[in-house]
Parts: sequence; structure tokens; C-alpha cells
Amino acid sequence: MRNVTLTINGKTVRCPTGTSLLDACTAQGIKIPTLCHHPQLKPFGACRLCIVEDKKSGRIFASCVTPASQDMDIQTHSDRVLRHRRNIIRLMMAEHPESCLVCSKGNHCQLRMIAAQLGVGQTRLYPMHNYNGIEQANPFIVRDLTKCILCGKCIRADHELVAAGAIDYNHRGFEARPSTLFEQPLEKSECTFCGTCVSLCPTGALSMKNVRYVGTPQEEHESICGFCAAGCAIRLGVTDGQVTEVTPSPQNGTVNGVTLCVRGHFAHDYLKSEQRLTAPMIKKDGEWVEISWKEAIDTLSQNLLTAKKEHGSRTIGFMGSSKCSNEENYLFQKIARTALETNNIDNGGHLYGLPLAARLDQRLGGRFRSRPLSGLEQAQAIFVIGANPGNSVPVAGYHIKRAAQNGTPLILADPLPTDLRRFASLRLDVIPGRDLDMVNAISAMLVEKKAYDASYMAEHTQGFSFFRAGLGSLDFQRAAKITGLKPEKLEQAATILAGKKIAFVVGQGVLQQPKGMETLDAIINMALITGSLDNGSSGIYLLHRENNQVGALDMGCVPNGLPGRDSLSDENARKTWGCAWASKISPDPGLSLVQMIREADKGNLKALYIMGENPARSLPNPPLVKSALETVDFVVVQDVLMTETAQLAHMILPGAAFAEKQGAFTNMEGRIQPFHPVLPLPGSARPDWEILGMLAHKLGMEPRYSEIGDLQKEMARLILPYGETILNAKVSWVGDAVQNGDPMALTTPVCWDGEDPSAGYAFTAVTGSVRLHLGSGTRTSQSPRVRAWDGQVSIEMSQTDAASLGIENGDPVTVVSKTGRMQGAARLVHGIAEGLVRVPAGVEGHALAGLLDIPQTPGAIYCGQKSFPVNVEKSNET
Amino acid sequence: MKPKEIDMVKLHAIIGEFKDVKWGLIPLLQAVQEEFGYVPPESIEPVSEAMNICPATVQGVVTFYAGFSLKPKGRYVLRVCRGTACHVKGGQSILSSVKKHLSLQEGETSEDFQFSLETVACLGACFVAPAMMVNRTYYGKLSPNKVNNVIEQYEKTEGDG
Repeated sequence: MRNVTLTINGKTVRCPTGTSLLDACTAQGIKIPTLCHHPQLKPFGACRLCIVEDKKSGRIFASCVTPASQDMDIQTHSDRVLRHRRNIIRLMMAEHPESCLVCSKGNHCQLRMIAAQLGVGQTRLYPMHNYNGIEQANPFIVRDLTKCILCGKCIRADHELVAAGAIDYNHRGFEARPSTLFEQPLEKSECTFCGTCVSLCPTGALSMKNVRYVGTPQEEHESICGFCAAGCAIRLGVTDGQVTEVTPSPQNGTVNGVTLCVRGHFAHDYLKSEQRLTAPMIKKDGEWVEISWKEAIDTLSQNLLTAKKEHGSRTIGFMGSSKCSNEENYLFQKIARTALETNNIDNGGHLYGLPLAARLDQRLGGRFRSRPLSGLEQAQAIFVIGANPGNSVPVAGYHIKRAAQNGTPLILADPLPTDLRRFASLRLDVIPGRDLDMVNAISAMLVEKKAYDASYMAEHTQGFSFFRAGLGSLDFQRAAKITGLKPEKLEQAATILAGKKIAFVVGQGVLQQPKGMETLDAIINMALITGSLDNGSSGIYLLHRENNQVGALDMGCVPNGLPGRDSLSDENARKTWGCAWASKISPDPGLSLVQMIREADKGNLKALYIMGENPARSLPNPPLVKSALETVDFVVVQDVLMTETAQLAHMILPGAAFAEKQGAFTNMEGRIQPFHPVLPLPGSARPDWEILGMLAHKLGMEPRYSEIGDLQKEMARLILPYGETILNAKVSWVGDAVQNGDPMALTTPVCWDGEDPSAGYAFTAVTGSVRLHLGSGTRTSQSPRVRAWDGQVSIEMSQTDAASLGIENGDPVTVVSKTGRMQGAARLVHGIAEGLVRVPAGVEGHALAGLLDIPQTPGAIYCGQKSFPVNVEKSNET
Repeated sequence: MKPKEIDMVKLHAIIGEFKDVKWGLIPLLQAVQEEFGYVPPESIEPVSEAMNICPATVQGVVTFYAGFSLKPKGRYVLRVCRGTACHVKGGQSILSSVKKHLSLQEGETSEDFQFSLETVACLGACFVAPAMMVNRTYYGKLSPNKVNNVIEQYEKTEGDG
């Protein structure tokens, strides 16, 4: 690239052609005030504050939109420039209301900051306010457009970063304001309340709705969002020990940049819920009695040891947490495996496809463990299968939408409409649960077209001839019938994907279906034949659900694995870990989450330690789960909230939420992100690792984990993919397996087995995540803002189906499955196929769980039920 | 009287014409306005879907240009010139006689959707000042009397739709 030479404030400067004057000046350490400029948004030139003067031509330029050119002689702070800047600010202030004293933007107001820097106190201009009403009916965002300076950051963030398309400029001149379609309030628009506009707004025009507090937070601390698997870097504004503001962290290179989602931005008020647990308690005669920590730990260790002694290790269960930190999950499973000699360890991620993540890792031979989401924006094609990231992992959704907006072909395979639809180059409305045959058919077409990467396969894979033979027998007509997709559609998909390195985004539609494992295998096969894995910008992205699902897997908090993604069935690994822990590790695979409940139901589980999980809400068939838990002699729940499960426990240990303790989470990208305490612990609650440390000591384990550093040192030494990076408190990435030279095997394609349990049912229900809730909504439903928003349970269905049942929009309906019933209000949705209904997860105490049942089959892996047969009835008015 | 419901078939036919035109949004909106006399709010979403632009942006374009209106206009739109030349030649009295004759203020539309009254910065017809337009027809060298004659030509007669 060519360079240009110019003079800035008398100094000769060289910069690449095309650099804006603003960037050239910033690189010299010169600070130029800006209001409409943001490095992650395209330059706009609206506010004109960044003007500089070219002495040679005498012209004044807005530096953010003017490229530096040869021989310019730029003055950034000449008297003339400053005079103009002051006038611009004076004009803005003349239009701005004098409400700074009560403005929630407080010291973060950039307009006030720049006015102060330029010494503009009074404008001495006739005030001309453009009064707009304050809009604050929704519980998240307060919109006071009287304070708007028309910088357009909110609009550009809406279009360029989160691609929601809710707002744009409306009207012209003095009347101009950002507006939704038909000037409706935000809640009636496309707005997703991600709050990105709020954190970018330079004035108080957009602010976070706080009920009790106005102004700048007393302190601000970096942290990691504790909700979904994106693991956004956030900055918590804290006042009097409470979170009063959440903004995206200003650090560079975070997964989220300047975006967040409605949960991350607004739902952290659950931390102050009245349901927080504040003291260890034991149930005596049905009443909760507070006890000391010493008493609690003594009782806990005694009960665990008694169960082991009297009934054996196999009767003790440990439910770790996809929400707790790496340190905690590591210590938790270590206690289970060493002191109590059981492999009955699992975590809530099991419900959201964690066993499939282990399968992916195994098939790739421990390669490609870190895969930044930013790669999606460089991919040649994106294939989204069974995923609704707009609701489940919104930040991943933003990446996909941005890529599609920039022209990356996007294929969307989903039976239900999602917000990605309008970005898709091709939509495949596949029948729920039949993705397997769709993927196989497209692979077969790619093979037929010879659109595979032969040289990649020769070097890295094996088994192509078997794979090709397997696909050769595939009948496209049959595949079309099974998947409900016309052969032309499948052909179109193959044409789009041919010759491209593909990024596969795999969501709960695959991870949670009975054929999930086979479907994932088929996806891996397609990735291998197209050579899509090696490239940093393609490969397979599993949309995990919870913040530390990957961490829990890596820490061995699973029944069939060990820390560092070692397998329990690997004798060498068992030996190594047994040696490191001075203990013998049983080769018997432990019980999974679902199996533990089954065993409890049969009376085979005597003690159950649940850390940060809420099986009585999240698992299928809550009545069965509750009765199963009641049969266990001793249930201890360590959590931050009085959950449905905690109410059934014999003892409760108050743990700490992410913002109250130290540790690290591993996000879905494989990014290990440390965090530090920023809030005081509620009551006598303790960080979970500390509680586990006390228990470990009581059980006689060595060493004594009195500091988190002791734990981290041990982990750094033993967990190879994490290693020393655990200790330096910086963001790092999960390492690949050391020995990963073996070729990756293609598996023989299998087809849908024709099992169809829908006899007697007219509809297929598909579970769908909602944007406001995470998973089963244990934490999000404790957020006052989310509660204020939560209205009715929407059962989405097609207009045709509704008409045939005599149902109108908003009518009460009941969804009836083999196991249970769920009430809701019908919502007639355009684009939903006939015969399908979408039932929402997380809402109304996760009522959806009541429709599902725990499978009878003793298989270790329960992939879940993304779709299942139901009937829909119009409820009688009560 | 309410404006007639818009014909969605016609709307979709117009949208179809411009769907694949590069930079087609403004020509499309012009065609919609030409057909219906205004840009019906219910056309924004179909237009935005066809052009693959978000609806709020389409609305922004409509409200930005004075040439587009989201409100139904009368059958005849009177545009009275307020340019300098017309002003000197008594444009003010032309405007007030139009207002008086139609009992309308600037920007208003008569209840029977026969007339809308607008003012324009300059019609570019200074040589015949004072001037006004009715739809696409110029009327120059106006006097209050002449204004009344002009308007009477456009008034509703029996049997008018």
C-alpha cells in the first residue's frame, strides 16, 4: 500500500493511503473531540466536531470522513478550528434541555464532557428545544429524544452491528429524529432491546432504565457475562454494592465488541433478587433453620461419607454446573472422583448438547478447539442448522447477520421462522428432527459434483471411499420425502456450498434431537470432505447454551470424561489422573444427569450434591424429578437462588454469582476468560470454590485449597489444554490435544430410521428459546426487568392451523403431549409451517418441561427432545 | 369520508416492476405515490421486504422528501409559489384567496379528498409570477379573481367519482 506524507500540527507524518485524517491524528496522540465517530461503526461525518484546518488550502474538513492526502498541512487546534468547534457545541447546547442535574448519563455524557473541554458554559443563543415525550413504558430503555443530537450512532449500531433494523432517521431538518416504523414505541418495533444503542449514545437520549438510581455508577469493573455461551466481556457499573449499569467492555478483541443482548445488558438485576440465598440452612421439621458454615460442612461431609460407607460410591451423585467457574467444576469432580470414588458426575450442559461437543472433539482428534466467532465474518459460506441465535446466543447471531449483509451466502435449515430469515440466501424448511438426511443428501450432491477438497482429504482424513460408497446408495427422492424438502432445494444448497469453505453453525435443533449424534457426524463428514475445518474462518460452531458449558466439559465435570477432555475409558488417562490425585479412578462410567434421576426414582441414589443446577425446573417431567429427589436420603443444593430444587433439598449452601467471586469461564469459542469479584457477597454466602475447598479439607483431601491460587496452580500443572495460562489472569484459548497427527475418519453415513412416534397426534411441537430467558430461566426469571416484561406464554402456530381449530390470535390454547399439558396464548405467525407449533422455553417456570418425559431407555446420552408430538386445543374461557 | 382502501394487487404489481432495479427505492416510491396519490403506510413493509431494506429506513426516505406523503392527498394538489418574484407580484394575496376559496390551510386536504393545498419555495416560473400549479398544470399571472376561476374548473360536479 502506498503512503502519503503530510504535516500535522507542524510535524511531518506518513500514513497509508486512505487513512482518515482523524485516524492519522489519533495515531500521533492528538485528541480530537468526536460525537458521531466510533471505531466499530462506519465513518459518518454527522456531528462535524472533528473538524481540522488545512493551512494550504484554507479549507476546513471533518477529519473522520476526509482521507489524509499528500502535502496537506493540518492544524487540529488552531484558533479558527476551536472557534468553529465551540459554535457547533453552542448550537447543540441551544437545542439541548438543561436537565444535566437529573440526567442518568451523568459523567458519561460526551456532549457535556466536550462542552466542558471547550469551555462552553452558556450558549448565549436562544434556546430551541425539540421537545419529544420521554418514552419509558418498557422495562429496559428510557428514550428521551429531546436530548438527541442526531449523531446517528444508535441507527448505525442497529443496522451495522446488530442488524435488527428497528430504527432510522425520520423526517428532516429540525424535526429529524431516530424513529421506529410508524413512530411506535420500541416494544412495538423490531427492537430486540440488546441495548447496544444505549451504550453508544453520547448523551442522555438513550439510557438504561433503573428504578431506584440515576447518575454515574460509583465504580466500574470488568467482568464476563454469566448468561449464554458467548461469554461477552462486560463492564459492571456498581453503586452501593449493586449493579446499576452494564455496558460492553471497552477492551479490544472481545467476542462481543460493543454489542450485548437484552439478557446481558438488562437481566443482571437478578443478582439483587429477594430469592438470593444468604446463609447455610438445614431443613428441620419442614422449616429452614440457619446454621453455621462449620456445621454445614460437617453435616455435608458426614452425610456423603455415610452414604458411601453404607450404600457404596455408586449411590452418590454429583451435579456440577455449566454456570459455575472452571475452578469450581474441577474441584467438584475431583472431590467426587477421589474422596467419594464415584464417576456419577454431570452438569446441566447435558441437556443442551454437551455430549455432542465431546463427540466433536473426539472425531476431530482434539483439533480446532478454539474457533473465534469473528471467523464467521470471513467465511465463504455459512450453513446454519437448527439454530436460532437471535434468541439463544444473540452475539453469534450478530456475527452471522453481519456476514450475510456483507454478501456471504447463508443457508438456513430450520423448520421455524427465525430472525435470520431475511438474511438467508436459501431457506430449507426441513421437517423437525430430519436434518440428518438433509445433510447427507447435500453431501452426496457435493460428492457427485466432485465439489470436495481431494488434497485436503488425502492429507488429513481417511475413509473417503467407504463414505462415498455409503452416499452412493442414497436415494434423493427418499431423502426429499423424509426431509420434506424438494430435491431442487437440496440441489440449490449443494450449488451454493460447492467449492466453498463452509462455516457450520449448529444449534439446539441438532444438539437436542434424538438423532443429534448422527446428524453431527454427518455435518462433520461434510466439513471434512469440503476441507472446511482447517481454515480459521470456517469449521463447526456449536451454539452452546450456557456460559461455562465448555468449561464444565473441559474440567471433566461429565460422567465419561476427565479434565482436559481426557476420556474415562482411556486407561492411560485414568492412570495419569489417579497418579496426580494420589487416588485410584474407577473405570466405570458414571451416571449422567438424566440417569441420576432415573436411579433416584428407583431408590438407588442415597446422596446427591447439586451445585448451581436446577433439575426440578430444567429437566423433563418435573413431577417425576421432584418425587425422585424426595426419595434421596440427603440432597444438598449449593446455589445463588432459592430454586425449585433448593426447596426440595435437605440442606442449602449459599454460593456466589459470577460477579461476587473469582474464577474463569470458557466460552463456546474456547476462549478462557478470567473474572474477578466486583460485588460484595450477600449475607454469609461464600464463593463456590471456597465452599468446595472447605469440604475437600474436611474430607481429608490434599492440598488445602484456602486460596483460589492453590487450585489454579494445580489445574495449570495438570490440565494440559489450559496450562500455565490459568495463572496469568489474562484471556487465553483452549489448546489442542498434544498428539493430533492422526487422520480424521469419515464415518459411514446413516439415515433416519423411519421411527415416527406421532400416531394419534395432529401437531409437532418444537421447543424454542426466547430472547429474554436463558435455558430454563432460573436466573432470568428472577430479574425484575424481565419480570416486568414477561407477559403471556405465546404458543406460535400457523394461521391455517388456527383457522381449522377455530383459534384466533391471542386465544387461550392448551398443548397436550403424552406427558403433560401447557397453557398459553395462541400467536399466529406468518411463515410457520402447518402442523407445527412453537412452545417457548424458560417462561412461566419453564412450563415446557411438563410436556416432556425422561426417556426410559438406559442410554448414557440423552440428547433431548427438540420436537415431539402434541395436540393443540382451544382452552375454555374461565 | 375515508380514503379508499388501497389495492394490494396494484401495489404488488408496482413493487414487482422495481424489485430488481438498482437504486430502485425512490423510483418505486414515486410510482406508488403516482398510483395512489400518496405512499400508503401499509405499503412500507411490502416495499421494504422487496427492496431488502429495513422498514424504518423506507419510512425515513418517505418522510425526508417533501415529494412523498404518507397521508392521502386530494385529487388535485394546489402548489402555490412563495418565491421572491411571486412574493413581489402579490403571491401572498394569491395564497390567501386560495385558502379562503378552499377553506384550507397549508398542508391540509379537504374532507372530500378533492383538494390539497401546499406551498412551494419556487416553482421556477418567475416570468409568469405570481404562479401556482394544480397537479402538473401551471397557472401564471394570477389574480385573486383568476384563482377562483381556476379552482372552479376542478371543483366536483355531479356524477364525479
